[in-house]
Amino acid sequence: MNLAIKDIRHNLLRFVLTVFGVGLLMAATIGMLGMYRGIVYEALVVIDGIGADLWVVEGGKSGPFAESSAVPANLDRRVAGVAGVAATRRFIQYNQQFQFDGLPLRMSITGVDFPSDSGSWIPLIAGRYFQSNRYEAIADKTLGLVVGDEIRLGRDTYTIVGVATGQVDMGGDGLLFVTIADAQVINQLLPSEAILLNRAAKGKTRMGLGDDTGSVAAVIVETLPGADKEVVRDTIKRWGDVEVLTKQDQETLLLDGRLGKLRVQILAFTTMTLLICCAVIALTIYTMTIEKVAQIALLKLIGARDRVIIGMIAQQAGLIGFCGLVLAIAISFTIYPRFPRTVLITESDLGVLSAVLMALSLAASWFAIRRALAVRAQEVLA
Amino acid sequence: MSKRRLAALEVRNASKVYDSGGSQVTALAAGSLTLSPGAITGIVGPSGSGKTTLLMIAGLLETPTTGEVLFDGKVISRPGAKLNELRAFRRTHLGFVFQKANLIPFLTAAENVAIAMQVNDVGRQKAQERAGRLLSALGMGHRGSNYPSQLSGGEQQRVSIARALANDPTVILADEPTAALDGQRAEMVMKVFRHLADSREVAICVVTHDTRWISYFDSTLELEDGRAR
Repeated sequence: MNLAIKDIRHNLLRFVLTVFGVGLLMAATIGMLGMYRGIVYEALVVIDGIGADLWVVEGGKSGPFAESSAVPANLDRRVAGVAGVAATRRFIQYNQQFQFDGLPLRMSITGVDFPSDSGSWIPLIAGRYFQSNRYEAIADKTLGLVVGDEIRLGRDTYTIVGVATGQVDMGGDGLLFVTIADAQVINQLLPSEAILLNRAAKGKTRMGLGDDTGSVAAVIVETLPGADKEVVRDTIKRWGDVEVLTKQDQETLLLDGRLGKLRVQILAFTTMTLLICCAVIALTIYTMTIEKVAQIALLKLIGARDRVIIGMIAQQAGLIGFCGLVLAIAISFTIYPRFPRTVLITESDLGVLSAVLMALSLAASWFAIRRALAVRAQEVLA
Repeated sequence: MSKRRLAALEVRNASKVYDSGGSQVTALAAGSLTLSPGAITGIVGPSGSGKTTLLMIAGLLETPTTGEVLFDGKVISRPGAKLNELRAFRRTHLGFVFQKANLIPFLTAAENVAIAMQVNDVGRQKAQERAGRLLSALGMGHRGSNYPSQLSGGEQQRVSIARALANDPTVILADEPTAALDGQRAEMVMKVFRHLADSREVAICVVTHDTRWISYFDSTLELEDGRAR
C-alpha cells in the first residue's frame, strides 16, 4: 500500500492548502519570468518584425530605441546608393498622449515608409495594410481602437484601417502605425506661440517649421542577398555623420543596456520566490514528519526498512511539488493573458522551473528524512 | 512447527545503565528472562522497577549494558550490538503490543494489520486476506474498514494484537496491554493472549503492574529496583 497517498487522503485539507500555497508561489514565479520575457518580446517586437539588416542612425548615438536619434528625412536616398543595399525605409517612433472618446490614450506612434513599405510585416487581426500616404492608421489591439474608428492626432483626423496584435513598445504603450509623412506632421505640431516665434525667424514656413525635408529617427537598410553586411556597414559609417547598427547591436543595446538592471532584478525576485517555495515545502514536510514520529517509530518497530519511510516522505514532497506546479500552470494560463502587459510563458521556462521545483521539493524533504531516520523504534513507548 | 518447539527467547543477566546529565542511572541491575513456546510469562513490579527496560532488551529495542539475548540458543544481541541490523529479526520473529494501541491513524484496521506483513515483503492480496482472518479470529472482522478513530479502546487493542500476530511471530511482547482498558475489555485481552499461547504456541511476555492477571501467567518474574525479587 502507498503510505504517502493514504496519509494525504487522511489529511486532505492540509495537503490542498499546502498545494494551493505552493501553486500561488510558483504562479508568481512563472509570472515574473513571463513578465521579463514579455518585456524583452515587446522591446524587440519592431526590431524583429520590421526586417532590417542595418539601422542608420544619428552619428554618435545608439538610437532609435536605446536613445533618441534624428537623421535627415532624405538620408534614405543617400543610403540607397551604396553598393549592396537592396532597399531602404525611413523609421520614426515616439510616444505621445492623445484623447479618444474623451479619455487620454497613450501610444507609441510608429512611422511606416509608405509606399515602399505598406506595413505588410505587421500582424493584423482585422482590417488591411496602408493604401494611402495620409490619414490612415493601424492600431495595436491594446489601444482599444477598432477598424473604422477615427482619432484626432494633432491637427488631423486619422481613420483606423487595421488592428494588429502583439505590437507594443518596451514601456507597454500600444503601437499606432501611420505613414512617415503623417508621423512627421503629428510630431511637429507646435503651440501657437512657438509658431509665431518661428515665423519671425528666417526660413520658416507659415506652420513654423523649417523649409527642409524634416527628420526621421533612422533609416532601415535591407542588404542584397549575398552582400557582405559588414562592408555595407563600413561604407556608410565612413561618411562620419551617421552611426550604423546591426539588428544584433540593437538587441544588445536594449537587453544589456536599457533592460539590463530590470533583468537582474526580476531574476533575483524569481530566485527569491523559488527559495520561499522550497522553505514552504520543507517546513510542511518537516511538520508532517514530526507529527508522524510515533507512526514512523511503529513502522520501525514492526521492521519496516528505511526505504519505506524515506519513500513515504519523498513521495509526499514530490506530490506537493507536482500538484503545486500543475496548479501554478493552470493559474498562469488562466490569469496572465488578462494582464495589461505581455506575460510570455515559454515551454523552456516551464521545463526549467518544473525541474527546479521538483528538485527543490525533494531537497526540502531531506530535512524530514533525516529526522525520520533518527527516530528510534522504542519511541513508540514514549 | 519445529521452530516453535525449539525457539525460546532468553535474556541472560542483562543490565541497563543510562547516562543522564553526567551521572549514571541504572534502569535494570540484573534481569534474566526465559520465554517458552506456549507459555505466558508475566513481569510484574511497581513503576520504575525495570519492567519495560527488560522488555525492550528482550524485544531488541535496546541493547543491554551487560548480559545478552539469545534466540534458539544463539546470541542475537549483546552490548554494542547494532539495533538497526536486528530489525529484520524483529520483523520475522517478534510481535509487540503496547498500553496504547499505536495504530497508524491514516490506515484502516485491516490496513494496520496488513502493513506489518507488507513491510515483510508479503504480497498485498495475501496480506489483506490474512489481516481479515486475524481480525475475524479476534472478533473484529466486521470493523476491518474502520479507521482507528472510529474504534473503541478495546477494539483498537485487538487490532494491535492482530498486527502483532501478522507475521506469525514466535514471541509476543506486551507492555501494559490492559492498562488503558476497563476491566471487562482488559479481561478479554488477557483471554486472547491465553488462547494464542495455547492454540498457536506463541511465547508471550506480559509486563504489567496489575496483579489481577497473575492467574493467566505460566510463570511470573517480579522486579523491584531493577532486580528480580
